[in-house]
Amino acid sequence: MISFEATEDQRLISETVQEFAKTTLSPRAREFEKAKGVPADVRQSVQEMQLALAAFPEESGGQALGLLTSVIINEELALGDPAAPFGLPAFGAFPLFAQELGGARGSELLRPFTLEGEGSFGAVAWSERKAHPERAGFSCVAKQTASGFEITGEKCFVGNAGLASQFIVFAQVDEARGWDGLGAFLVSRDAPGLSVGERHRTLGLDCADFRPLTLDGVKLPGDVRLMGDLVGEPFTRAVLRAFAKYSLIVAARQVGLSRFAFETAREYCDIRQAFGKPIGHFQAVAFTLADRHMDGESASALCRRAAWCWDSGKSDEECLLRTAQAVAHAHEAAMRCADDAVQLHGGAGFMRDVIVEKMMRDAKQMALVGLTAEHMDQLAATLEVRGQLDSALVLPTPETQSVFI
Amino acid sequence: MFEFELSDKQKQLKEALRGLGKSVIRPSSLEWDRNKDIPLEFLRNFYMMSASMRGGNSTMTELTEGSPVSGGAGPSSGNRTAAIAAEELAWADASIMLSVPGAGLGGPPVRSSGTPEQRERFFGIFRDMSEELRWGAYGLTEPGAGSDVASIRTSCRKEGDHYVLNGRKCYITNGGRASWVVIFATIDPTLGRAGHRAFVVERGTPGFFVGKIEDKLGLRANETAELVLEDCHVPVENLLGGEERYQTKEGFMTAMKTFDNTRPLVAAMACGIGRAAYEYARDFVRENYVLSRPIPRYAAIAERLARVNRNLEAARIMVWKAVWMADQGIPNAKESSISKALAGQAAIRACIDAIEICGAHGTLSEDHALLEKWFRDIKVYDIFEGTGQIQRIVISKRLMSNLRGF
Repeated sequence: MISFEATEDQRLISETVQEFAKTTLSPRAREFEKAKGVPADVRQSVQEMQLALAAFPEESGGQALGLLTSVIINEELALGDPAAPFGLPAFGAFPLFAQELGGARGSELLRPFTLEGEGSFGAVAWSERKAHPERAGFSCVAKQTASGFEITGEKCFVGNAGLASQFIVFAQVDEARGWDGLGAFLVSRDAPGLSVGERHRTLGLDCADFRPLTLDGVKLPGDVRLMGDLVGEPFTRAVLRAFAKYSLIVAARQVGLSRFAFETAREYCDIRQAFGKPIGHFQAVAFTLADRHMDGESASALCRRAAWCWDSGKSDEECLLRTAQAVAHAHEAAMRCADDAVQLHGGAGFMRDVIVEKMMRDAKQMALVGLTAEHMDQLAATLEVRGQLDSALVLPTPETQSVFI
Repeated sequence: MFEFELSDKQKQLKEALRGLGKSVIRPSSLEWDRNKDIPLEFLRNFYMMSASMRGGNSTMTELTEGSPVSGGAGPSSGNRTAAIAAEELAWADASIMLSVPGAGLGGPPVRSSGTPEQRERFFGIFRDMSEELRWGAYGLTEPGAGSDVASIRTSCRKEGDHYVLNGRKCYITNGGRASWVVIFATIDPTLGRAGHRAFVVERGTPGFFVGKIEDKLGLRANETAELVLEDCHVPVENLLGGEERYQTKEGFMTAMKTFDNTRPLVAAMACGIGRAAYEYARDFVRENYVLSRPIPRYAAIAERLARVNRNLEAARIMVWKAVWMADQGIPNAKESSISKALAGQAAIRACIDAIEICGAHGTLSEDHALLEKWFRDIKVYDIFEGTGQIQRIVISKRLMSNLRGF
């Protein structure tokens, strides 16, 4: 039976995170922005709250609370500072990719994230700057050698690359198979031949440390290839699932951002006077606020429903469709909320004294982390119109639209 | 716990209504639209069938109205079930839902404000409709007052054991065939809402006439009538809630909150029509593009389909939230308005886009006659039960501090 009631656990977690976001993240959002990262003391607090792996099974060091709980946590964190979760250990894409692609090794890969202290980072190296000039697939190539693999190529837009102790690197293992010929490799930061480049200078999400990677003949033993020598649909499907789940987490942050931007604008419209009354008492302004409120509420509900699908063990197709709808809606809603929050502030909204300009930059940047609204619409249409899914066709490749991850 | 699965009973109801919609309602839908009527025989069969489908003690009235928030009977699942049924029926045909025999929109005010005697008297006539089908109706809108309810001019004055009503009501669903209509009138227009009185005016009351039957853009199979009151003498017993109900303004206002229940149902119906159009366009694309050859425009069309579908989904999830709140007894005025505002727009967009996706074919009333009909039917869903603008006023008032009106 349809219900929108949180469990006792979810309520408690939500209240705790809300309080933390309000007292710690929100007042320090500009500090994080300037420092271009979340400082160690905040990271430590979050690590102690054990929030990052809430959705993961207990044997992986998680709390087995389901993706829905994670969605709630990320939404509430983003209400304090939408950029901050991108700078928190284990909040990135790595754990989800490790879980989907790691098989039995998944829990071993997640162990470093459960240790006490400031926490450690992992990163996923997916994107490349340019499409391969001659064929489909990545330019970064993993060649089979007698002892394992040798990876050569360049990756970019890698979140937390500067902080990560380990990477999951995607490379072409079978050039003849195009996007179906991909493989994923576990690469340690100190592997000879791996170098992490200069930080990308980005529009928003200053907390996130996006960087390029160069792999110059990085030699790896055979057992670091995730999912063994599997190529084609089973592998790309697992990659798509990991992308979808991470994108849903990002979408939850967009929901938090939408609510943050809306609330900031609402408060302003309540006190800002023009023509003898609060500007929120004019229909043009009030209706805009009503529309943005509807955006936030509906995006939040859609994200929760999509997470519920994953938690309830629905088919891949249903989970992916619900996720696609929720993520695309959340990205667009967030951009509208942030844009209107600036607009309703008038000139003041353009100034860095007010937080809404940061929301607007963060919203746009966030819309390019994980699968974008465009990818999600293509995914949803593929499922609905074709009735079957070719995962490789909807992955975010440099020849369609490159993404941060 | 969050849960988005229908109960087994709801699934069965949904499946049954879908089957009925597909094999019985849809095939007749265009003919009803052309003839501007649904045959009584069909309505009788439909009424009997759906009553039995719902099981013994529930009536079709509950299915089409939901149950009141302030019912005090503890949590129920009635509003959620009603929303699911409303969407399914509207998917089959938009008019049938509005033409189903029973109290219709007249039901909620009688249920919430009526005295026990009035409830028995006015609902009693729907208990056995095996001989004759009967309807109730709701008359608020006037030629000079629609959204601005406080400005109604239909007057009432007490004369002995009668009230004398004068005025005109328009756009009244099932107004011509109704056995009774809840008519809103005012004792003094300068008093605003505090001056309003609600009467149950029965067919045949002296001075009560049916005026023009409207010719409409859509929902043509459903009757929309003008009602005329000329020195209409209504017995005091038909004053809804009795005299004492109007001693305080609050008593009456609280009763009107039950309309928060019907908005999500109207929104659910919009979702059903929107879904019908979406599915039609999706299947058209599936048949014409994918299986033959991908055309360059395909990606654009695919994205458009996805957008239509997700906007409907966003509306539907807010419908679900509003009806869930109603079932829990949580005040849901804002959420009801959100669902109505989102669904009206999403469904209109779905019907417009479906036509565009099907190309020139889409506007032909031979080839894709259903698309053409849905396009006409859907527009009113952003108008009746409070326009999209009125919904935004309801929402804004709950967002801004100290905002009483614009």
